[in-house]
Amino acid sequence: MKQIEIPQEENKTLNGHQKVMYAPNTNGEFQTFNYGSNIEEYATKLAVEEYEILQKECLENIKNNTSSPIEFYMYKNRMDIPTLASVVGFFQFRVKRHLKAKNFRKLNDKILQKYSDVFGITIDDLKGFNYGK
Amino acid sequence: MENSFKHNQFAHCESGVVSTLLTNYGLPISEPMAFGITHSLTFFYFPLIKLNNMPLIAYREVPKNIIKNIDKRLGVKIYKKQYKNMVEANNELTRLVQDENKLVGLQTSVYYLPYMPEDMRFHFNAHNLLVYGKENDEYLISDPVFEDVVRAKENKLTIARFAKGVFAPKGFLYYPQSIPKNIDYENILKKSIKKNAKSMTTPFPFAGVKGMKKLANAIEKIQNNNDERYVKNYLTHIVRMQEEIGTGGGGFRFLYSAFLQEAKQYNLDNNKLQTASELITQSGDILREFALKCVMGAKNIDRLNSQEIAKSLVEASKIEEEAFKILKTI
Repeated sequence: MKQIEIPQEENKTLNGHQKVMYAPNTNGEFQTFNYGSNIEEYATKLAVEEYEILQKECLENIKNNTSSPIEFYMYKNRMDIPTLASVVGFFQFRVKRHLKAKNFRKLNDKILQKYSDVFGITIDDLKGFNYGK
Repeated sequence: MENSFKHNQFAHCESGVVSTLLTNYGLPISEPMAFGITHSLTFFYFPLIKLNNMPLIAYREVPKNIIKNIDKRLGVKIYKKQYKNMVEANNELTRLVQDENKLVGLQTSVYYLPYMPEDMRFHFNAHNLLVYGKENDEYLISDPVFEDVVRAKENKLTIARFAKGVFAPKGFLYYPQSIPKNIDYENILKKSIKKNAKSMTTPFPFAGVKGMKKLANAIEKIQNNNDERYVKNYLTHIVRMQEEIGTGGGGFRFLYSAFLQEAKQYNLDNNKLQTASELITQSGDILREFALKCVMGAKNIDRLNSQEIAKSLVEASKIEEEAFKILKTI
């Protein structure tokens, strides 16, 4: 059995932890090894950064009145539309409408409360949105 | 349970939990066995289903496949419960781990687990962990992908147990209730290995080795996409799906190879097991190389050669095809 190289690179996204993988030892038997992969680190970091970029872009869109605060909190909570729709219990087409500023203004407190609960914030955080400050 | 429980770290949450539970309740089953007996190795590429705007890619069977099949395959009886009421869910968990000193498995959302590193918090509702005790209002947790035991306050764990969305756990709790006396491993392993080999060589174009080739085609086409941000995210998404919580570097492949090695004790054709195990290990290694190429491609997007990247995936698919053709005849 050919030997597999066990990566021992730093992965800062794991906060000092290491994961485990199976690989053959010198006797050809499989056992677990702790490892650290900077490939995994890069992929995770990029996914985290993408949500940060989406949040920033969303703040600009809120300033120029196209997006709603719901979209901001969606990205802040690392959700996409299907996930948010599933969690809040609305159809995706409805959620898409709520992400637009012009529709957001017309939303009643009952709907806003549902979103607030999902995001762990208050209705005022949505209504009186202060650009995430 | 608190004093006598020994925590272990595993490659994958569901197989780790099932292995620990069965072993604890009197049936020593390793993680590779739990994974292999439930024929959990797979590949699935479905561009029409999107996750963060990216195509769905899976390297192992759907969550709960191990829990659902382990009782069928081994004849173990597993108590399974979901709850509508959070108070009832906590009362039962407390009673089981505190009063009855039992070890119990739970399905939870990664996003809401308080001990999860910040960068790892994504919405994935099918993470499995073990609870082995309770101290005041804190549950003592053995999370299979962490090196040491962790803790979570009841209110926080409840949020993780009742997260909504895809694969919503609904407080799902499970533990073995009875272990059969005689288990016919030889026949069970033969069936499971054949079943897994069939699913990896399925004619359905989006699954198994055909699915790997389909994804490879899609990766080749990305060369012509001018949206650099999308291409970067696409390539790293593929890597994340491969490396998802609990595994690393085509890790499910190494896990399955470990299973095939362990299966040698049960009167099957050991030459076939050895050959297939070596091939699947090789595939896991190539998939790691593939992941590296994806990341390098994303880092140096101006010099992207997606055909080169796709080649590795095709190579892995051919090797797996050879391995599973052998295993079909076990």
